[in-house]
Amino acid sequence: MRIKFNAKFISAIVVGVILAFVINKNWGAASFLSTKNLSTFLVVGVALGGIYAITAGGLVVTYATTGIFNFAHAAIGCFLAFVYWQLSVQFHIPTLLAMAITLLVIAPAIGFLLDKVLMRRLRDASLVVQLMATVGLMLTFMGITLTVWTPKKARTLDHFFEHTKGVQLGSVIATWHRIITVVIALLVAVALRWLLYRTRLGISMRAVVDSRSLAGLTGAKPSIISGSSWALGCMTAGLAGILIAPETGLVVENLALIIIVAAAAAAIAQLKSIPMAFVGGLIIGLATSFSSTFLQFGTDWSYAGEAIPCVILFIALLFLPQARLETGKVRLTKRTERLTKPWEAGLGGLSMVLIVGLWANGWIPWFSGTNWGERSTVWLGRGAGFLVFGLIMLSLIPLIGWAGQVSFANYAIAGIGAVLFSHFGGQNGNPIGIVFVVLVCAPLGLAIALPALRLKGLYLALATMAFAEFTDKVLIRHPSMLDPSNSGVLYKPLRILGITISTDAADRKAFLMFLVVMFALLFFMLELLRRSRWARRWIAISDSPAAAATIGINLTTSKMAVFMLSGAMAGFAGCMLGLQTGALRVDSFPMFAGLPIVLLLAVQGVRYPVAAFMGALGLASFPAISEVFGNPSWLTQLALIGPGIAAIAMAYRPEGAVFYSGRDLAGLLPWRNDAREEKALFTAKERSENIQKDEINDMGLSRPFSEDKVAQLDRVLSITDAVDETKMVNTGGQS
Amino acid sequence: MTTILETQEVVVRFGVLQAVSKASIKVETGQVTGLIGPNGAGKTTCFNVITGLQEATSGKVMFDGKDITNKSPFKRARMGISRTFQKLEVFGSLSARENILVAAEQRRAWDKSGFDPKTVCDEILESTGLTDVSEFMVGTLPTGTARLVELARALASDPKVLLLDEPSSGLNEEETEGMASLLRRLVAKGLAVLLVEHDMSFVMGTCEYIHVLDFGSIIATGTPLEIQANPHVQAAYLGAETVEEAS
Repeated sequence: MRIKFNAKFISAIVVGVILAFVINKNWGAASFLSTKNLSTFLVVGVALGGIYAITAGGLVVTYATTGIFNFAHAAIGCFLAFVYWQLSVQFHIPTLLAMAITLLVIAPAIGFLLDKVLMRRLRDASLVVQLMATVGLMLTFMGITLTVWTPKKARTLDHFFEHTKGVQLGSVIATWHRIITVVIALLVAVALRWLLYRTRLGISMRAVVDSRSLAGLTGAKPSIISGSSWALGCMTAGLAGILIAPETGLVVENLALIIIVAAAAAAIAQLKSIPMAFVGGLIIGLATSFSSTFLQFGTDWSYAGEAIPCVILFIALLFLPQARLETGKVRLTKRTERLTKPWEAGLGGLSMVLIVGLWANGWIPWFSGTNWGERSTVWLGRGAGFLVFGLIMLSLIPLIGWAGQVSFANYAIAGIGAVLFSHFGGQNGNPIGIVFVVLVCAPLGLAIALPALRLKGLYLALATMAFAEFTDKVLIRHPSMLDPSNSGVLYKPLRILGITISTDAADRKAFLMFLVVMFALLFFMLELLRRSRWARRWIAISDSPAAAATIGINLTTSKMAVFMLSGAMAGFAGCMLGLQTGALRVDSFPMFAGLPIVLLLAVQGVRYPVAAFMGALGLASFPAISEVFGNPSWLTQLALIGPGIAAIAMAYRPEGAVFYSGRDLAGLLPWRNDAREEKALFTAKERSENIQKDEINDMGLSRPFSEDKVAQLDRVLSITDAVDETKMVNTGGQS
Repeated sequence: MTTILETQEVVVRFGVLQAVSKASIKVETGQVTGLIGPNGAGKTTCFNVITGLQEATSGKVMFDGKDITNKSPFKRARMGISRTFQKLEVFGSLSARENILVAAEQRRAWDKSGFDPKTVCDEILESTGLTDVSEFMVGTLPTGTARLVELARALASDPKVLLLDEPSSGLNEEETEGMASLLRRLVAKGLAVLLVEHDMSFVMGTCEYIHVLDFGSIIATGTPLEIQANPHVQAAYLGAETVEEAS
């Protein structure tokens, strides 16, 4: 007990010192003691905090009542803000009516629909599937919004009472918009509290968290209860979106990024306390306002202010209590699998090289551009890009697929790797630089995970997403990392084993072949690793952390090892990414760009190395499909919507495409008798299940009532489990 | 016979609910100790406290003469405490063989006797009769077999104390008898077993000593015969008829 207190105490001091240092170093010209500055800080901070509080409160309500953390929360709010803009600005519907339509009709409708088609299926899904599906939902909403309201046109939402003066508060003017915002936030807080504690519906909603089956006994329909949770979530998200859009502008990325703010506030609330979520929102609002009023980040750190929510999230994670090792969550699979044999993995790797080789030489039909026996340099370049993303996907397989640690940070790590490589080795075409980058990225991968290692998996996902955002806004934008004024060449062509690797049109085919050979080697290595004690240990801690600990596995060090491996692989992918792009910009690595990579891998099946190759093919399909249709404007967001919708579909097919197609395709291989047998067994089982269903239906029951009918049903279904207890009572009675 | 594992006045409180109150349990080497009680009596919580998955509000856990109350679960496992779970906690996406192998390999972290994990694994597969299903993913096995895998995995870490949480649930009569004889063989080799079980005939047939837990408190301890004769136990839990049937 005392040690824990000490660790937290030391963390608190360290964080305090760092914050004091940062604040002191970047203190601007504004005087803290001037009433004007202070009241500006407070007015802006409280108003902003109010909006954050609303969205965070809604997020926590849905998490607490449904057990699903909705990454799409802010993206839905963004979509609704655009809908509101359409109604009020384009259709000239009066403000209040437009708000009522958006928040009281459309938002709840979206909520109920989401509950019906998606969220209910996610309830008992694994964390990986829950995360992928809701992140997919986020990308889908972003993509739809970007498609309907193309970002080419600038849109603004007026503040409420834009042209009135506001209220004089001391020496500052509080605009009506801000005053209304604060009042609404207070009302929402009171309303949520009242709803959850004073109404029948709210009490049922809270009861659902404790026991889903018991809640059904209160008489409320479970579908109404969970639907209401999501409706409530969408309404708060929309309200926050509408309130904040006039401040940030109607820009999809900005509005969707509020998910980081909401996540940070939710972490402060430990994902359960609604009042604390409001406090968290307020803290972030005040911190943001404090920074904009008093701090003056130099040009080197010009975007640091935007990373405040990320930093607050990291700090909140440090102070969360350690997660208990949960039991009773073991998932059972429905397919007999067997480990890939080393020679099979080798064959697989060779096939990949062969397929890409044939494609690169134009011997595989493709959608566009070139004659038989020829491949355009544009597509060769794109092909290299897909394989680089495939390398990042490979780096996620041990991490997410085996150890069950969901990370959204590997694209950011690759970005850092690309930048580092431009400094060390890349600039003079020295391949040793790659080794250096790999050695740096391994501990980097670990460092990101450290604050969340002792917490439950969801927090890790949040932390990695925040790190990706932090990398984009702060790390990469520092001039010593990427100098925006330097438009020169970052990488010289690299010569390895007599092959010249560069983004030049003439080198592209060689580069592509080099990449696929590396990909195949890493693929082979992962397949061997899967057969080793390391992978066994990682899968053990993922399948049952409690059981893994009780056989003596040190969860922390095992996780650390897999994070280092993954970081190293992402670093290598980063070097290739740099070489493949040739030029990097400060905005080359937005957090959102990393998400489709993770999703496409998950859709293919995150446990199988071959899924990374399929995922790269999946990426290739988007520009190809777009080209088939003649690149219409409504398909420009395909790279967001495609992975998004595919990931949402994981709620229906949680194991990934490789798992399901493997069952059918493995049987085609001449040596896989086992797969053919299994397939036959599976078909037979499915058929007998259907026959059983018919038999039950023939009995004319929708519900078993009498004892003999239950017994009859037991016989049909050959249930023996339930017999134990009755046996005890019966034999007891006889004696 | 020596006391290898002991809890001293362990208290576990969840909010206002006292799940375990001042429970003192002793486990001796070379015998099967039973821990019985009605549903919700706190048996599994006791197991969790002993293995470190649950922090005790107060009280001590002693193992082999050392205070292990504040040790993390994996360290306790390395000292020689192994367990199974009431609800299956197998590694579902590993094969039965890999489930055991991962534990045997882990044992090398503290057992420097230079054994070969693969050999140990094969021996355990053999002795538990799992050889035939060793290549199947455990997630696809029937519950009874999966329980056996869990037990085999626990044995692979070569424990001094084995905690079994309802090992016979989900097993048919024949399998239960197999489990009982396996336990007798293990105990004969000097292992200490602490057993939580609902099947009374199984408990009375295998345990040498029994603790009875009710509402978080130990209400009786003694040999099976003493427990069956104890009026508190009969009132609280067993019901006279079942005792007669079991004896």
